[in-house]
Parts: sequence; C-alpha cells; structure tokens
Amino acid sequence: MASVQFKGIIKKFKDNTVLNGVDVDIKDHEFVVIVGPSGCGKTTLLRMLAGLEDVTGGDILIDGLRVNDLHPSKRQIAMVFQDYALYPHMTVEENMSFALRLRKTDKGEIDARVSEAASILQLQKFLKRMPKQLSGGQRQRVAIGRAIVRKPKVFLFDEPLSNLDAKLREEMRVEIAKLYQRLNATIIYVTHDQVEAMTLAGRIVIMNKGIVQQVGSPIEVYRKPANLFVAGFIGSPTMNFMHGRLSLEGEKLVFSNADIKLTVPPYLLSDQKKHDGREVTLGVRPDDVLVGRDGQDCSDKVDGVLEVCELLGHRENLYINVGGMRLLATVEAFFNRSPGSAVQLCFNYRNMHVFDKATEKRISD
Amino acid sequence: MEILRSLYEVVWFIVLIALGVGALEGYFYYHFKFHDRRWFFPAALAAFPLAALAVSAPLSAPSFAHWLWFLGAEAVVAAAFRWIVRGRHTLPYLLLAPAFVGLALLLVYPFVFEFYLSFHDLKLTTIMMWKNTGRIPFVGLDQYIKVFTTSPLSEVTFWALLGRTLLWTFTNVFFHVLGGFALALLLNNSIRFKGVYRTLLVIPWAMPQVVAVLAMRGEFHATNGFVNIVLGKIAAAFPFLAHLGVGPVQWLSDWPLTTCTIINIWLGIPFMMVVILGGLQSISSSYYDAADIDGATYFQKLRFITLPLIRPVLMPAVTLGTVWTFNNINVIYLVTGQAGGTEQADILVSALYKAAFTYNRYSYSAAFAIVVFALLFFISVTYLHGFDAAKEER
Repeated sequence: MASVQFKGIIKKFKDNTVLNGVDVDIKDHEFVVIVGPSGCGKTTLLRMLAGLEDVTGGDILIDGLRVNDLHPSKRQIAMVFQDYALYPHMTVEENMSFALRLRKTDKGEIDARVSEAASILQLQKFLKRMPKQLSGGQRQRVAIGRAIVRKPKVFLFDEPLSNLDAKLREEMRVEIAKLYQRLNATIIYVTHDQVEAMTLAGRIVIMNKGIVQQVGSPIEVYRKPANLFVAGFIGSPTMNFMHGRLSLEGEKLVFSNADIKLTVPPYLLSDQKKHDGREVTLGVRPDDVLVGRDGQDCSDKVDGVLEVCELLGHRENLYINVGGMRLLATVEAFFNRSPGSAVQLCFNYRNMHVFDKATEKRISD
Repeated sequence: MEILRSLYEVVWFIVLIALGVGALEGYFYYHFKFHDRRWFFPAALAAFPLAALAVSAPLSAPSFAHWLWFLGAEAVVAAAFRWIVRGRHTLPYLLLAPAFVGLALLLVYPFVFEFYLSFHDLKLTTIMMWKNTGRIPFVGLDQYIKVFTTSPLSEVTFWALLGRTLLWTFTNVFFHVLGGFALALLLNNSIRFKGVYRTLLVIPWAMPQVVAVLAMRGEFHATNGFVNIVLGKIAAAFPFLAHLGVGPVQWLSDWPLTTCTIINIWLGIPFMMVVILGGLQSISSSYYDAADIDGATYFQKLRFITLPLIRPVLMPAVTLGTVWTFNNINVIYLVTGQAGGTEQADILVSALYKAAFTYNRYSYSAAFAIVVFALLFFISVTYLHGFDAAKEER
C-alpha cells in the first residue's frame, strides 16, 4: 500500500493544454475519487499515473519514488478500464493470471491468488468461461479480479461503472465500497458521476478544465463548495444561483436584484460593512428553498408562480418562477397545488452560499 | 468509321442480351401467372418448344427428335410450375431468374459437361468422330487412373506436380502473410505520409496482373534485368561475396519456379497487408494498455494480443490466398513463356492448361481438373472448419 503525490502536473497534447498544474497528495489506504465533467483531464491524469501517457511537466511520486519514466508494469499499480479490456480470447482464469504468467510466477502461487480473488468477487463458477459469455457486471468483476490478483500498491479505476445500466451500477457501487473495506488499499477512482463520487470517496478531487477546483471530504465539498463550479457540480438536483448586488441599508446587509430582495444575516457574511456594493452570486440548494408549511415562520418571503411539479415518489421537485428567475425547490410529497398558482417561498439562510461574481470564489463562511 | 462499327457491335450485343433476359422473364412470367388456367398446358406445349426450335436453328438443323426433346422439357417445367411452384413468390423468383439462369449457363453447364467429358475419351484423334457422329467413346474411370499414373506434360508426373504445387502454395502464402503482417504493423503506427505509403504498397495489387507480371519478368532478364545488374554490381564491389557464389543468375531458364515465386510473393503481399491492417485497426487500444500494465513486452503483446485478435480476419484471407495461389496460372504462364516453355515451373493448374490446350487431351484434362477441384475443396473445408473451431472458443 502506498501514498501517491502529484506535483505540478502539466500535460499538453501539442498546443492543447489538458492539465495545468495539478497538485494532489493522496495518503496511504485512501479512497480518492477524481470527478469532473468530460474533457476535464481526469482520465488523462489517471493514465499518466499508470504510465500510459507521458508527463509533460511536474512529478508523480508513488511512495516517495518518482515514477515519471518508469514502465507501467514497474509502478506496482493495477488499472480497471472503462471498457474492461478483458482479453477476449482468454478464459476468466487466464485473464486474471496473465500478468503473473508473464512474470513467470510459480504455478501454485498463481492458482492461490486467482482463487482468492475469485472468492472475494464470487467468480469461482465463471473461471473457465470466456468474457463474451459473461454479463456486463460479471465482466466488471473479472476486470477488478485481474487487478486484485497482482497485489498492487495502488488500484486505479477509470470510470468502471459507466458502461453498466443504472440498477447494476448501484449494485457494483456497493460491491466496490465493500471491496475497499476488505482490501484496505489505496484506490484512485475516476468518474464523471457525482453520485459515485459522493458515495464512494474518502476524499473527492473535483477537476475542471485541467485545474483542481477543490479537494476535500464529500461532506466538505457539499457543505462548503470552494467556488461556483463545485457548487454547481456537486449535489443533485443542482443548486439554485441568483445574481445580484449587496448593499448596506442601515445596519443590515441586503442582497437585491430586479426580482428579489433579501437580508443577508451576519452569520453568513461576517464583517458586513466590507461587502457593501459587491456583485455576488447567491447559491441555495433545492432542499433549502422552503415552500408551503416549511416556510411558514420565516421572514423575507418571496412571491413566485409555480411552473411545473415533478413527483419523484417521496419528494417532489417544484419549478417556481420568481420574476425572471426560475428556482427549484425540493419538498415533501405531495405539494397539492396546480401549475400556475401563486406560491410563497423563503430560504434557509444557514445553508446559503455566497460567491463573488467576478472571481467565482466562495466568500461566505 | 471503325469506331462506329465497334460501337454498333457493342450496342447490338447489349440489345441482344436485353432481349434474351426479356424473353426469359416473359417465359417465367407466363408460368407463374397462368399456371392454373385451363389453357396453360396446351398453350405452353404449343408455343415454347417451337420457339426453342427456332432459336436453336442456327446451331443445328431442326429435327423431329429435337422437337420431341423440347416438348418433353417444357412438359416437365410446366408441370413443376402447375403443381409445385403454384405461382408463389412470383416477384422474388422473377427478379432472381436472370442471375440463376446466368449461373446455370456459365457454371453449372460447363461443370456438368466437364464431368461428362472426364468419363469419356475426347482427344485429338477422337474429336472428328465427335463432330461427325456426336459420340465419344466411354472409358469409365480410365481417365482418372491416367491422371495419377501418367504425366500431363512430357516428363513431370502428377505426384511431382502435386508436391511442387503444395510447396509453391505454402511458400507464397507464408511470405504473403509474413510480409503483409510486417508492413501492416509498420503502417499501423502513427507515421508521417502514411496514406502515401499505403497507396504505393497497394499498387502491385491494383495493377492488372498481366502488366505487373510482364514488367517483373523483364526485371529478371539474364543480361538487361534489374536483378542481375544489381547482383553483378554487388559481386564486382565485394569480391568475397563473388567467391561465395553471388552473381548474375539465369533466372528464367535455370530458376523459373523461384522467379515465379518471388514475383508472386511481391504481387500477393498488398492484399494480406490491407486485410491485416484492417484487423489491426479494429483492435481496441485498451487491450494494449492493459497488457502494458500487466508487463508484456512488445513481442509478448504481438504473440498474446495482436495475433489472436486478428485471427478472425486472417483465417478467411489465408483460405482465399491458398485457393488463389494454388490456382494461380497467370504468373507461371506469363513468366515461363506460354505453351511449350519450360516444364520446371509448372504447377498443377498450369500443367492442366498445357494438357488441354497444347496437347489437346480434353477428357484427360477434365478428369485432372476434377481431381484438382477435389483437392482444393478438401483444403478449403479443412481451413474453414479450423476457423469455425477457432470462432467457437472465442
């Protein structure tokens, strides 16, 4: 087991900069999920760690050893690919033991390791089968088994669940979480799905446009997103954003734009005088938009018109028009109003986020 | 005026074919459409045998026997349409009819006639008898026995020819695959001017074989050919090589089969290259990534990933290549000089050609051709069977 460090990683494909100075420290036994929209460079970063892409600038260290120029097989890593990359002409057993056979490992040792991995992943029945005779989930397990057999220092997962259907993805997510508890290994997991990131990660690395936006535990990045991108990317449904200006009215700091006027409480922005006249973006998660009974005893009520209701079962998504803005509120089912009716809403200020409009950085505490 | 005349002939030929197809379609249309009418049989039996008699008149004088024969044939066809086909699937069959009749005329009839010939004795001494009486002596399996016991040419036996053919086929296909594979591996890298190289490499395949072979034959000319000039220069520049026996060689007279083999290898590599390149490009790069992480060397990746994964495209290509090479008369015929040239380079099919058209042993050649066909059939089935087995295990 090992630690991994990225130091000022830069990757360029000709003139196109894909990664621009990535610094991440990953500790021993840590489950780190790298998440971001497609094209943000997360898979490239993983492939560079695996040794499948050259490093343009910066250093990659595994256990303190610089591995930039080390052959992939010498880095003591194992990778699970998005399309599984199981050799189609080998049985499950041959697939899992391929690396060991290439290294001329002792036959008994190979058998022991394969059967151990097979029992962890419940693959004993399938050892003699060909990959094409397996379902997507089983193939994924074989790909993971192939990684386990090698006893690597670091496991790399490259969007391993994105080729599975939604139900199977949930099952495999639990499997991988269980596997982590059992192997207690260093795992680096790349995905574009923020649900996978939130559920699996010990720490999340959020990337966009080749730059690390925030590193933190799932609860940190959810509760205190460092900037607008993280706030919009993490959490489902997406956070509501309102653009406007802060101004001091007497002792109170007030947020206002053409449609809405709110008093910003001091626990959200301490040192209120400093912010007078600042252009900001307010972020509120749909859960913190209070409608109906939830919002009965708050001040600062806002009038809106209900546009669309989406029933999810136990919850309901309400799209509400406030002037020119559309706000999403998620409330307990059933909100018994028809579209077009007027509703009053207010916000849970404790979970509100304030970002500077120009720098997009978080300024609330 | 000459041009106009040629054009007129071509147009006339096209019109003739169109008329033929039209008549054919009309014939079948009648049988499909009116099979259940009361006048179906009388009209068919009255019209079609007479029409056939009229059409065949230029070939042989109409006779009562001919008319009876056509009448019988028409009766069988009409009965089949009335009670078996019964007008079902009219359109599909009408659309298929020209192709089927074409195939029957061009493939089935010659094959049946060849089969017939192989049990009789048609040769230079009996051909006048055939012309005058329409009969050829029946000899049973004699021709087949002769195939294995006598020489189709003046000296080389069937068995020597067979061995030579197998060696020729194996050598050619082996080097086709080897060369094609090597070139495909090179072209599969991201190199500059890849399209140009690919085009250049495919040219021998795209050129008409006659042109390519005759050009190459010139290069093997004893005194003025490129190959001997280069060999001569090398021998002059490096005397120790000359001591080892390197020098100009009488390619066409002393080493005809080797020359043919070299030329045919050059001709056959592009096809294999294109096929294998297609196979290589269909292999997902993630297999190579996985193998890199598993620690496979370049040759291990070649052995454990590339080769097994191009097998599905390679096997049919090798089967085709084997059949084509086994049957390749063009190269040998064109290089060794047409009829009456050397026999040292002859393989089964070129010997077969000479037996038929130089020595005029038609029945013997027919039997010979059927033996060659049986051999090839056996080889192809074995290959394809192996291919199916390979597919099963994937």
